[in-house]
Parts: sequence; structure tokens; C-alpha cells
Amino acid sequence: MIDNRTELAPAQSRLTLRVNGAACEIAAPPSTRLLQVIREFIGLTGTKRSCEIGRCGACMVLVDGEPVNACLAMAYQVQGAEITTIEGIASGTELHPVQRAFLEEGGFQCGYCTPGMVLSVKALLDRSPDPSDEEVEEALSGNLCRCTGYGGIRRAVRRAIELGR
Amino acid sequence: MAMERHERFSLPKVWKPRNVGEAWSLKRSFGSDAEYVAGGTLLRTWWEGEVAERPAHLIDIRSLPLLAGIRIAEEGGTGIGACTTLAEIRRSCGLAAEYPALPEAVLQIGAYSIRNVGTIGGNVASGIGDALPALLVYDAELLWFDGSEERIAISEWLERPEDCRRDRGKLLMQVRLPDRANAVETPTGGGNAPFSVYRKVGRREAFTPSVATVAISAGRTEDGRLERVRIAAGGGAAVPHRLYAAESLLEGKTPDPDLLPLIHEAVEETFRPKGDVFAGEEYRKRTAANLVAAELWKLSAGRQGKE
Ligand SMILES: Cc1cc2nc3c(=O)[nH]c(=O)nc-3n(C[C@H](O)[C@H](O)[C@H](O)COP(=O)(O)OP(=O)(O)OC[C@H]3O[C@@H](n4cnc5c(N)ncnc54)[C@H](O)[C@@H]3O)c2cc1C
Repeated sequence: MIDNRTELAPAQSRLTLRVNGAACEIAAPPSTRLLQVIREFIGLTGTKRSCEIGRCGACMVLVDGEPVNACLAMAYQVQGAEITTIEGIASGTELHPVQRAFLEEGGFQCGYCTPGMVLSVKALLDRSPDPSDEEVEEALSGNLCRCTGYGGIRRAVRRAIELGR
Repeated sequence: MAMERHERFSLPKVWKPRNVGEAWSLKRSFGSDAEYVAGGTLLRTWWEGEVAERPAHLIDIRSLPLLAGIRIAEEGGTGIGACTTLAEIRRSCGLAAEYPALPEAVLQIGAYSIRNVGTIGGNVASGIGDALPALLVYDAELLWFDGSEERIAISEWLERPEDCRRDRGKLLMQVRLPDRANAVETPTGGGNAPFSVYRKVGRREAFTPSVATVAISAGRTEDGRLERVRIAAGGGAAVPHRLYAAESLLEGKTPDPDLLPLIHEAVEETFRPKGDVFAGEEYRKRTAANLVAAELWKLSAGRQGKE
């Protein structure tokens, strides 16, 4: 077994992934946080940095369609994955229905938690277009808002469900 | 900012072993300079909270085939690969039917996105994860690799002193749940169906660290008496354990409300929680005892599940 190890080398600083549909190759060390890859290496700053320990959801992105806290994930864990950030969900100038719903229902005030909220809701509606209240709560339990209050956010989710019908 | 300060130091190297033996050999040769990483969610919390130092080497165990997936074991029962995510456990219909307290426990760990990444192996290996009480009441066994395979009952492993549990370089491969003889639980818990339940209390309703967790399981005889009673508690930094005194008060009995004061007392007397500035030991004991008594009361009244 020890012999096998000599053939092993630590993972290289070469990260290949797709971000919002575009192929990227980045010279990021494998244990860099995904959050840093997205904001600093790729320059997409819609993914917000806040608690940095997975407790607030401001840095939520989709990894192969599923919500993941970009502050927790490391580059090697998303090797070859498809990443969706808030910049990647509108089509041209046409907002994504979930974005529209947040705007129309006043689902935000300062807006700092909004990119993460929108992505969590998008992932929810992609897997379950007509979710129950419990499903909505479960899907958003990792996204904290400290100014709007959750009333407007719930309304926005309801509206997004209607827009998707 | 925190991230810049931390990440200017040299980042850990990442190793991607191709099999269990390679992973274990890497850990042997680096010793305390290396950590196995599954989801890395708990490690990140430890590093940022300065509970543990970020090691120089990370050993990625997520792509080891032997550690993946949920399967029916050859000798009966169910094997859950250590790197199965909490989300996969939550979605598993087989687990929900036979071992409902486990998906219920998992649903109360972290939030949706944390469960997409965090694994059952990481939860168990930490020695304090919220899934442990559920695994204890199902008599789970742990399959470790330490040069060769080793099997140990989870209750026995948890009773070992901390330095035996952690940092010995053993790799957890699988969590095994024994067959629960004809154990498909009916949602109402009626008739002679076996019974199991999990409850967690934290300082918030959801997405919160636990103050107290309890799990209970029992089979039922034809005349409605409880058999093979298991009660376990944990929460916060406590190492979860079974509550044998409370179990034996119930064994062979019908769940009678008159027994509840005695069981409540037994839980308070035997549970060993860890207090902190938010919730002291007495409070946690009382909470665990209340949860056990409340669930048994619901069972005696023919009600089950959350109110
Ligand atoms: C915001 C947030 C909220 C959380 N809430 C909860 C909660 O409510 N309840 C709870 O219990 N936990 C919670 N956690 C902790 C954590 O997410 C879970 O315990 C999770 O199950 C850990 O799994 P992991 O794969 O991420 O572990 P990792 O971080 O990868 O590993 C944890 C430890 O286990 C070791 N390890 C992992 N796999 C193995 C293996 N197969 N063999 C040997 N050692 C191994 C690692 O070396 C490390 O020491 C939370 C974490 C975060 C960030």
C-alpha cells in the first residue's frame, strides 16, 4: 500500500469547471474556497461574502443545480462541476421569474442576502415546481435575512411559483 | 478580512487516494499533519472557530467507491457508505420506511445546503453529531478500516475515551443498520408496529445547534408490550449515549402514563450532557427528560410524531 502512495501526488492547482454555462480553467490551489474562486479569480461579485462558515447563505451558488455554500466548498470539490451564480440566471435583459418575483413582492431591502435567496428558490422550483410551505421552509432554512423579514420573502416565493405555472 | 488573512498562509495540499488502503496509508504517513475530508463542513467550522488548526494535508475520501451509497447488506440490514450525504439519507425511501428516526434526525442537521455536502461519516466520526442518538437506538455498527476491517457496535465505540475515537487514523467505511424484523412503521404507529422517534431541541426552531437530542426505539409484542427498548440522548458537545436505566423501566411494559415520572427521573439522573454558557447541564438534562416523557406519553395515547 505504501508503494502505491509513491505514485500519488497532491492535486494540481488546475481547476476546470463551467460557470454560468462558460467553460473556465483557473490556476486555483485545490483547497481555495469556491467563494474566493468565484469572486476573486473569476470576478463575479454577485455571490456575497458574509459569515464565511455556512451559517447565513449569502454566498449560496448552485453546484450541478443544487444549493451549496460557496464559503464551505473547496475548489477540488467542484472540479468538473457546473456552477450557477446569480449572474447566470437571467436571459439577456429578461430577469429570471424568481428575480422578478422578489422585485415585485418587495422580497428584499438591503439586498445582501438576495442572490443566495434567489438561487435557493430557483433550485427548489426546478426540483419541485409547486412546493408545499414545509418544502419552502426547508429549502430556505439556510438563508438568513436580517432586515426584510421573511413575510416579503415568502410572498416572493409564492409569486415565483405562480409565474412558473 | 478573515478569508484573506487565513488564505495568505500556504493552503493545505489535497490528496486524492484511489482506494481505502491508499487513503489510510496517507493518513498513517502524515499523522496529525493530515485530516480525512468528506464534505468538509464540520472541519471548516473547526478551522474558522479555531477549535482545530488547518492541517498541511487534506485527504479527500469522497470519491472512494467503497464509501458511497446506501445498500441492503448481504447478511440483512442496510449499509450506509460513510460518504453518503445527509441529503441522500433524507431522500432515501428505504431508510424512511425501516429506520424513520434517522432521516428525521438528518433533516434537523444544518440546512438544506449543508446537507447537500455534509456526510453521515463526518457526523459520526466527530463523536458528537446529531445523527448519533438515532443510530444508537437502531443498534448500528461501524465498519472501520485500520489496516484491515474492524467492526464495532456504535454504543461501544462512543463509550471509548475521546483519544481512542479520534485521531488514530482509522477510516470509517460504513454505518450498518441491522435488520429490524418486519419493521415497516406505519405513520400512525398503530397496532403492533415497531416504534421509533427522534427529537431535537435547539435555541431556535430550525438550522440551529442542538441543546438536547433524544431517540427512542422499541418493538411491540402482540399484546402491546414494548420490547428491545432503546433510549439515547445527546446534543451540543455531549457524546451521545444510551440511557439504560430508563430503557429497563420500559422493557416488557405497555407504555403507561404512570411510568412516565419514573422514566423522567431516570433520564435526568443518567444523561451526561455538557453545559455551556447558553444552556447548563441541569437544563439539558431536564430538556432531554421532557422530550423522552413527551414522546412516550404520545405513544401511550396512540399519537406519534410532531405536534
Ligand atoms: C452551518 C452549519 C450547521 C451545522 N449544523 C449541524 C447540526 O445541526 N448538527 C450536526 O450534527 N452537525 C452540524 N454541522 C456539522 C456538520 O455539517 C455535520 O456534522 C456533517 O455531517 C459533517 O460531515 P462532513 O462530511 O462535512 O464532515 P467533515 O468536515 O469532512 O469531517 C468531520 C470530521 O470527521 C472526520 N471524518 C469524516 N469522514 C470520515 C471517515 N469516513 N472516516 C474517518 N474520519 C472521517 C474528518 O477527518 C473530520 O475530523 C453543521 C455545520 C455547519 C457548517
